Amino acid sequence: MATTELPLPALPEAHHEEPGGIVDYLTTVDHKKIGLLYIFTSFAIFLAGGILALVVRTELAEPGLQVLGENTYNQVFTMHGTLMIFLFAAQVSTGLGNYLVPLQIGAADVAFPRANAMSYWLYLFGSLIVLSSFFVSGGPAAVAWTAYAPLSTDQYFQGTGMDLWIIGLAVVGVAGILGAVNLVTTIFRMRMPGMTMFRLPLFSWGVLVNQLLILFAFPPLTVVFALLFLERNFGAQFFNPAAGGQPILFQHIFWFFGHPEVYIIILPIFGVISEVIPVFSRKPLFGYRAMVFAFFGIAALSFGVWAHHMFATGLVYLPYFSIMSLLIAVPTGIKVFNWIGTMWRGSITLSTAMLMALGFILVFLVGGITGIFLASPPIDFAVNDTYYVVAHFHYIMVGGLLYGMFAAFYFWFPKFTGRLLSERLGKWHFWIFLLGFNLTFFPQFLVGLDGMPRRIADYQIERWGPANLASTVGAFLTGVSVLIFLWNFLVSIRRGKPAGDDPWGGNSLEWVTSSPPPSHNFHHLPEVHSERPAYDYRHSPAYAAAHGGPDTDPDRG
Amino acid sequence: MQPRRRVPAARWLVVTATVLVAGCTPHSVTEQGQAIYNLYNLFMYIAAVVFVLVSGLVIWSVVRYRRRDEELPTQTHGNNRLELAWTVIPTVIVLVLFVFTIRAQDKVLDQSGQADVNLTVTAFQWSWRFTYEGTGAEVVGGPGTVPEMVVPVGARIRVKLLSADVVHSFYVPQTLFKRQAIPGTVNQFDLTFDKVGLYHGQCTQFCGLQHTDMVYRVRVVTQGEYQSWLAGASRRGSAGRPGT
Repeated sequence: MATTELPLPALPEAHHEEPGGIVDYLTTVDHKKIGLLYIFTSFAIFLAGGILALVVRTELAEPGLQVLGENTYNQVFTMHGTLMIFLFAAQVSTGLGNYLVPLQIGAADVAFPRANAMSYWLYLFGSLIVLSSFFVSGGPAAVAWTAYAPLSTDQYFQGTGMDLWIIGLAVVGVAGILGAVNLVTTIFRMRMPGMTMFRLPLFSWGVLVNQLLILFAFPPLTVVFALLFLERNFGAQFFNPAAGGQPILFQHIFWFFGHPEVYIIILPIFGVISEVIPVFSRKPLFGYRAMVFAFFGIAALSFGVWAHHMFATGLVYLPYFSIMSLLIAVPTGIKVFNWIGTMWRGSITLSTAMLMALGFILVFLVGGITGIFLASPPIDFAVNDTYYVVAHFHYIMVGGLLYGMFAAFYFWFPKFTGRLLSERLGKWHFWIFLLGFNLTFFPQFLVGLDGMPRRIADYQIERWGPANLASTVGAFLTGVSVLIFLWNFLVSIRRGKPAGDDPWGGNSLEWVTSSPPPSHNFHHLPEVHSERPAYDYRHSPAYAAAHGGPDTDPDRG
Repeated sequence: MQPRRRVPAARWLVVTATVLVAGCTPHSVTEQGQAIYNLYNLFMYIAAVVFVLVSGLVIWSVVRYRRRDEELPTQTHGNNRLELAWTVIPTVIVLVLFVFTIRAQDKVLDQSGQADVNLTVTAFQWSWRFTYEGTGAEVVGGPGTVPEMVVPVGARIRVKLLSADVVHSFYVPQTLFKRQAIPGTVNQFDLTFDKVGLYHGQCTQFCGLQHTDMVYRVRVVTQGEYQSWLAGASRRGSAGRPGT
């Protein structure tokens, strides 16, 4: 295959005179630095949310109120959910997308670098506004992360903390919309010649669909927060039945955002898994087009299923929302089977990134299967708002998101830093996480089926004790595994093995450039003839000439 | 050799299936809940098969296709027949599950029968009021008072569910049923208890500061016991607080 170097557009010289250090990061419009800012900020929020989770688990370890009062408990679990869902889960993949998408499509930067920077700073300050509620009188919101009206209106919950919660999250929502416009435009308009849509790496596809979902799902969220803010502060009565308002309206608008949010969180992770598995199986992704169509299938269905969160309200048309929710299993199943198809007859290396990807498939499978139960209204009547639901969505969120995120970290850390994370520590991280995670959340299925409601500070029923104790022990083990990861990060960023441009034998264009990439991303770009340009390049005469023969081909050891 | 290898595999399957199915709902104590219990078990059996099959395939691929040499594996890009199969088969499975869902749902939500007891349940921050329509009997809970909903066994209880303030949720785990109490909205459903006993009930929709304390009990008694309890409760009027 002929591989000619494509000429790159001339770059403005100003790029070479960037100030270093903190000032550089405060003023940068480089998508890679903004990506890292997103990743670091959201990871810091993840650690804070994790500490709140440990506080919750400590309280619930045994029956009785030991550590917190009811009010503090309500604040802690509200803020745990808020930090994790709004400020971490939806943001960390925006960070990965920011860093990787321009590299994967062969672009020098995103379409709107300044808007991109603005989006990050809005996200940061929105998050700080939410966090500042810890320091106002009355403390932070204590209405659960779903903030159902009328509980969250001024009639039933006073205090500045709740208003800061609304304002902060509205700002983060605007940041998300701005970031989405930027990333969607980047993918549609900034692809290098030859990079057709059906050669786009799956991670970039995942980010594209995820950002399109943000464009459609975040505006309703901003609307519902605006309505709530008006009701709390300016006498509006949208949710007050005594004045002709409708409490159920809140649930409808909230979940019209809330269910797509699940896919906003998980689709980029599907993308990560679809990058990691082919590389470590040394085979192309099985059923590439089906994987792309499955993304769109999931995204389209995700807007028709919101009311499965409301089966127990008695106010929604059950069969419609049931069948739509059940059908999501089909595109999701296609993904899982295609991953297996990719590994089948492959040549599999169990690196930490691959272990995390395999862990993802197995825990996501449990989360997905239990999701099918919840799509059936009669079963939902039994388990809705119990620990069964808590276990289910943590299998998706913690299991799915975190395994995928760690797979991404182990996979791309070398690209970000030029150094490899320690595989030895990585394996400790993986196995302790696997044990801790399942010990935390599997018992919650059992107490949930036995009727333990979620969001209670205490329980009187003694037989729920052992499962809760196991959950608490598992949560602390999970905490230990995250500490191992942090240790790995701190050690490897200074003393990790040099990674080179392409430590894994990668498929997409980021593996063609240096690690870390130069500020304009590429010194040279190979031609793109398939969805695996870096693989094609390694097998080309040009590569052999540049690297001294086919013996140095990483695909051959 | 072959049979000896099969035994552990079969045993492993049985153990896995047992562990999975052990995650069962408790038996229901209402007629309506029985339909949910049966539906849940159907889902569980199918889920167990899917889980064992898929996780088995994942683990098998990893074990069987570990990298052993430098040889690049055949670069296959897909297989339309297989991909069609794993699109169509799951679709058929979820359609079957949907049909059973609808059938169970009709039983659970059926209100065509004549109600034997008309009970209005009002949720409020943070307890419950049970009003027996047309009898003057009423039970109210409050701080330190767990209210008790007394109902006769075998009778169709028509519950009219209201909320006085925020959204709550009426839930008795052993009925396998819950329904939100939404201010400004009247929700109605039937419960027919088929076992005498004392059951735990609790609000499951987070409703503010003392959500945790919003518990109640359901005492299912014989028809005779119910009548004499009702007579006593009616005489005491709304001041009666038999809860302990």
